[in-house]
Amino acid sequence: MMRRRNSGPFVAQQDGTYVMNLAPDVQAMLVHMFGELRDVLTTGDSNEPTLQRLFPVAYHQDPDSNEEYQRLMRSELVASRLAAISRAVEVIDTAPNQAPILTSGDMSQFMQSLNAIRLLLGTMLDVSEDDELNGQNDLEDDDPRLAQHHLYAYLGWLLEGSITAQMNRGEIR
Amino acid sequence: MASTTESPAADVAVDEQLDTDKPWIVLVWNDPINLMSYVAFVLQKLFGYSNEKATELMLDVHHKGRAVVSSGARERAEIDVFRLHEHGLWATMQRDT
Repeated sequence: MMRRRNSGPFVAQQDGTYVMNLAPDVQAMLVHMFGELRDVLTTGDSNEPTLQRLFPVAYHQDPDSNEEYQRLMRSELVASRLAAISRAVEVIDTAPNQAPILTSGDMSQFMQSLNAIRLLLGTMLDVSEDDELNGQNDLEDDDPRLAQHHLYAYLGWLLEGSITAQMNRGEIR
Repeated sequence: MASTTESPAADVAVDEQLDTDKPWIVLVWNDPINLMSYVAFVLQKLFGYSNEKATELMLDVHHKGRAVVSSGARERAEIDVFRLHEHGLWATMQRDT
């Protein structure tokens, strides 16, 4: 008989929820990063190149239409991102000293927020597809950016774990 | 001298009519940060594509630089772009050519 796999950062439960299988210090780190993302979204300079990655152009062939689109939709996109962050933080914070439980909706919000952090960090680090292909960058051991690259890789692993858990359940809606 | 040449104004009117009849398409563009598995998952989630179809589109994005993921009326395309942006994908829209 095959042993049931129960590893990975997110474990699907019989009742349709997911258990976040992460150490408390990792959970605290995520809450901290979600807070930083919220700060950037609420107080950051929207013209700053790193932040622009979270608000892509919608009409790439039509600047006037794009300006109108951004005028109407940007605040909605910010609100959507903030709501997702709030829920992700709430899920972790309401379960002190125990593994947080995520509903299907929570998992979706968590995944979007995690990906947003990864987008910002990847943009800051100027990640390229070559980095991805090589599996590692050429940074020296004492390079201060190394920790950020490790964090970027770790967030990718977490995101992959979230996708795998949802795919295994057939969580497509 | 007899001529059956149509008026230029009529041509323009017909062209404009054809242009407005064209649907809008939503494109997802390649970027070095989003995971391939994430892009395929989001396409399944938002558009109800099968795993095979979503993977095919994701590979088009990855190898060709972009893929058309939906098409239709302008309002619908704007909603699709918004939802893709919510998920962090690099999506744009344009009238189909």
